[in-house]
Amino acid sequence: MCGSAYKNRPQPNYCSCVVPVWVNERPVREILTCQSPRTTRTHPRTARRRPPWSFSVARTPTDSIMAQRRSKNKSYRQSYRSCLGAASRLSHTPGWTARRLNTSRRTKSHNITEKVNPEDLALLVKTEWQLSYVTPLYQFRHTQLRSYSRQLSAFITAEKQQGLAVEVEGAQTSFRVSFSAVQGLGETDDDAETVLLQIHSKPVFAGKDEAQKLVWSGWLTCINGNPEYLHLLPKDFTCLPLFGSRGAENLTSLVKSWFQQTFDCCFGPLEINQTCLQWLAALWTNCHIESSIQHLKMIWTLPVEPPLQITYTVNSQDVWELWNSVRNPSLESREEEEAARSIDIEEVTRFMQGLKSHFYRHFRLDLSAGRLSQVSSALGSAKFSGRIKMSNSRYVLTTLTLLTECALLKMPI
Amino acid sequence: MGSMDNTAKRLLQRLVRRIPSQMLKTTLDKWSRLTAAQRQSMDYTESKWALTEKLLAICEENELTVKHIAELEMIHVIENPNLGMWYVFQLMDPQDDAHSVELTQFKEQFKSHLSELIRHVSIKIKKHTDEAVWIRIAWGDTFSRPNHLKPTYVVHYLQTPYVFLTSPTSKQKPLLSQALVLSTRYQAIKDANLSGRKLTAIRDLLMKQYLQVFPTKFPSPLAERNCVVSNLHIEKEQAGSAANRHQMACEAFGDGILPQLQSAVYKLETKFRDHTNKTMTERDEPFKCVVKFASTNLLESLRHSASSGVASTPVTPLLSSVPLKGKNYFVITDNGPGPSSQMKPSQK
Repeated sequence: MCGSAYKNRPQPNYCSCVVPVWVNERPVREILTCQSPRTTRTHPRTARRRPPWSFSVARTPTDSIMAQRRSKNKSYRQSYRSCLGAASRLSHTPGWTARRLNTSRRTKSHNITEKVNPEDLALLVKTEWQLSYVTPLYQFRHTQLRSYSRQLSAFITAEKQQGLAVEVEGAQTSFRVSFSAVQGLGETDDDAETVLLQIHSKPVFAGKDEAQKLVWSGWLTCINGNPEYLHLLPKDFTCLPLFGSRGAENLTSLVKSWFQQTFDCCFGPLEINQTCLQWLAALWTNCHIESSIQHLKMIWTLPVEPPLQITYTVNSQDVWELWNSVRNPSLESREEEEAARSIDIEEVTRFMQGLKSHFYRHFRLDLSAGRLSQVSSALGSAKFSGRIKMSNSRYVLTTLTLLTECALLKMPI
Repeated sequence: MGSMDNTAKRLLQRLVRRIPSQMLKTTLDKWSRLTAAQRQSMDYTESKWALTEKLLAICEENELTVKHIAELEMIHVIENPNLGMWYVFQLMDPQDDAHSVELTQFKEQFKSHLSELIRHVSIKIKKHTDEAVWIRIAWGDTFSRPNHLKPTYVVHYLQTPYVFLTSPTSKQKPLLSQALVLSTRYQAIKDANLSGRKLTAIRDLLMKQYLQVFPTKFPSPLAERNCVVSNLHIEKEQAGSAANRHQMACEAFGDGILPQLQSAVYKLETKFRDHTNKTMTERDEPFKCVVKFASTNLLESLRHSASSGVASTPVTPLLSSVPLKGKNYFVITDNGPGPSSQMKPSQK
């Protein structure tokens, strides 16, 4: 079966019976691309750049590729989920989104200031980032970052001069892109090293002595990515599923399209869903004893006419005591350190339930009818639209672990 | 040097920028500081920049000063009362002659009292068609002349206890309060805990100038008869409860178009009570939090939440207090009146 001409990226669905084999050479992809009909349901822009493995199912002869591709989207999700432990699928789950995220997570605070370059860290925290997910990068090499810097600089300059993407002044500015690896951020050996991108620019008419200004920055990361999933990835793919950007929209789209062309990946918007926002509320509150959260602020949007926005801000000490009261008592009997580090989804649910019931007792208005759209505290803020700000470096890893998981789940292929 | 100093020029520039081109003509007509020929010569299709230059030249020619430009600003603000933030204050303990204060007397009294309290102040008072007295105050201090670029507006309806203010600073508020109390023949003034972007809306809310619904405990008695099929019963019951919800929503918030409030804030300092959470229920300290409701039309949103079932009926007194008491800031505590407690929550 695996000897077929269309050896490919392994699809975990088939892994139980097939030993994954794949071909790294680019020509294979070209052949596949040519043979696959263009009249598919794929988005026209991404169709050309589909990575070889997205053409799916190694065992299928060419003429039935079409039929197989239909199930492509589903197969990935099932496959990623099948990588997760049974516990996460079978345990008590209030919503379908909850089922997809891990139901328990460690909350150790990490003093990463010693491991990570303080300049890199300073760039990462205290800034609001717009999140996207990215599918695995094909033939991305951490050793080639200097070359990528040159290529992307040239690409942006060329695109700007074509006048395709931006206003006229764009052509008069020059861009300097720098790629760098952020060492020490990864949690496990499976996590690919985080990559930081910065774009500096200086208008042509600026004075000679004027320094170039940072006009755009972004990063790609993977923190505590699911090891089973990462192991199944072919050797030539690097998984950095979480992309954060800040700066002009047109530069973001140029960077994305360069990545798409160069590494055969695709980008998509990453919302921070209800469950994830609830997790963040609980994770942040849990930190209060170590570093003050000042307050916990949640914003709900209610679907009435005209829409009603409810901002619910709770005193830090009170919300911490509420959190403590809903923690699982059984955990105390276990080894103390382990207990202090792990939070269960049931506790998060009880916590939110407590907050909602206090609200209902006063206003007789059910917050569950609405949507939690924003959570913030002194440790950071997160919005449903996919914007995140991490204000304290100690909790960067906890937050990025959760978001990495969200990104992996959101990936369509 | 012309009559127009820098402040006057900046004030005029800012005004022309702020007033939409199509409204500029009517505003200038009302101002009556330009001759008919000068008004004729204005071409309102020109750019704002050109219009400003033209107006500056005319003002110089007519020897107008910053006080005249302030009049123009006042005309614009009176015509557009729904821009900016308004805070309501309430006069308390009227003296015997409070109801007989009329405009001329109020004007004189207010000007003389405020000028006594602060040396450099520029006051302009104008009566609007709807009985409202509009006051524009440009504040200075002992050493500086009144700043016409940051005026405070005060609106007072004579013979009512309500005063509406824009952007008073903590330094100006006591002076203004004293002058108001003295000139209206009241004895005290307090924060009414109501604010909003639309002056007309908060005025309507306070003076109850919108359609209110009164409780009708007895719906049509004929509705109960002749229902044989059982699911007709159910449908009827559902329709009945929906109608009931709607009725209760209208009783709490009013019917028809409601005054446009943007927000309501509740500072809760009440105990956490939840039968599923013994630890928190037994805790002595209150659970402190602040809840803010916001919408483009808060009362309509709340009415819709109640009629659609998102909020349970009957509506809690906390929410219905907004239209009932004409307030949108509340401090809620468990045990009676605290330092600034406004009401008790319903403990159901």
